[in-house]
Amino acid sequence: MNKNDLKIIFFIIITAIMSIVLINLNDETGQIAHIYYMNKEVKTIDLSINNTYTVLGYNGEVKIEVKDRKIRVIEENSPLHLCSKQGYIFKSTETIICLPNKIVIKITDGNELDGVVG
Amino acid sequence: MKDKIGYIIGTLLLVAFFVWMALDYNQRINSIQEFSKNMFYMDTYISVKIYTKDKVKAKEALDSIDKIYETYNNLTDRYNSYDGTNNIYKINNNTLTDEKLTIDEKLYDLIFYGIDMYEETNGLININLGHVIDVWKSYRESESGVPTYEELKNSGSIDINDIQLLDNNQILNNHPCIDLGSIAKGYTNQIVADYLKSIGLNSFLINAGGSVVVGEHYANDTYKIGIETPTSEGGVYDVVSFNNKSLTTSGNYQRYYIYDKVLYHHIIDPNTLFPPNYFRSVSVITNNAALGDMLSTTLFLMTIEDGKTYLKENYPDVEAVWYTNDDEIERTEGFSNYE
Repeated sequence: MNKNDLKIIFFIIITAIMSIVLINLNDETGQIAHIYYMNKEVKTIDLSINNTYTVLGYNGEVKIEVKDRKIRVIEENSPLHLCSKQGYIFKSTETIICLPNKIVIKITDGNELDGVVG
Repeated sequence: MKDKIGYIIGTLLLVAFFVWMALDYNQRINSIQEFSKNMFYMDTYISVKIYTKDKVKAKEALDSIDKIYETYNNLTDRYNSYDGTNNIYKINNNTLTDEKLTIDEKLYDLIFYGIDMYEETNGLININLGHVIDVWKSYRESESGVPTYEELKNSGSIDINDIQLLDNNQILNNHPCIDLGSIAKGYTNQIVADYLKSIGLNSFLINAGGSVVVGEHYANDTYKIGIETPTSEGGVYDVVSFNNKSLTTSGNYQRYYIYDKVLYHHIIDPNTLFPPNYFRSVSVITNNAALGDMLSTTLFLMTIEDGKTYLKENYPDVEAVWYTNDDEIERTEGFSNYE
């Protein structure tokens, strides 16, 4: 067995491990971001899908980006741009608050409830 | 020499890798999975989830459950007849001159249970209310007004004694107008829950017809169930958690119409023949899903105070929560144990 054989073996093993890890990652239950405008939920976003969204805030449009299960505000109209400077959030219970725009983004575990009766 | 070391390392790595793969596979097939099925029977969506390692057993159980709901759907159907079964439609519209009609044992037992509940609730659960329900249904669908008490009273008899069960699964051909809407879903849910437990599938969640029935939790936890806010805003106003119990809600916000600023829904008080509006919704936690369905309807026909007294005197281990017309929340004393 020469160096090249070893390289091939390593390559195969690493690829296999990577694919298993990736498959397991996809098994995770999806997280959900809730967007509120003045305490009313205006949008629910599935964090497993990369996309950009626009919601209407107090000072005009607020652009939101979802990437790799993380969410951030990329564009809004406010004096200090605090919420677009905050960057990505990704853990449940994390929030982004855009005070001037009266927009709140909250992440929750999509599987909080097992069922709803009504 | 160099070659040998390379071979040994390579072989070891390969072996380690396969062992790891085997362990991972083993863990996968031994881990609990969710198997679910959605159905539409008895005018409602039904979702059944089973948590188990046994895929084959779960799939077979889901198919059997589908059959159970279909069977009870057909037996309790008031508007259609099905080949080979004498169901509620056949009983209500029996034009034969025979004195008796033989019905399925399952339907016989369910009607028997219904008559029992009439005694139990002093007539608040009345399965012979079909004529009155039909009048309300036609007004609801056309939204054309409100029936008068006379019109409702003259629509037909609501005397529970019109329903006469005889021996050997027979019923007297006495032209009742049976409607099992207030009890059939909970009764069937409980049969499905009992069936799952009888075959050893103890972890399950049934969501059907305004009620949730759960077994053991699949991971040493409790099921978290939300109670829907009975207003147009929607969402959940409370969350309860438990295992091996059921939660059933009756509310005035699902099947209703509004005429002259008054809301008329589908739960009719057999005494007044009108739908009461004491509050918006009531939810009960019971060990038995059939009892839950029957109690949520019964409590809906009482004021909150009367309901609390009724539970204390008759069902001390049942807890309930009410959502009032002023968006307040009222609970029985022990309800907070589940919150």
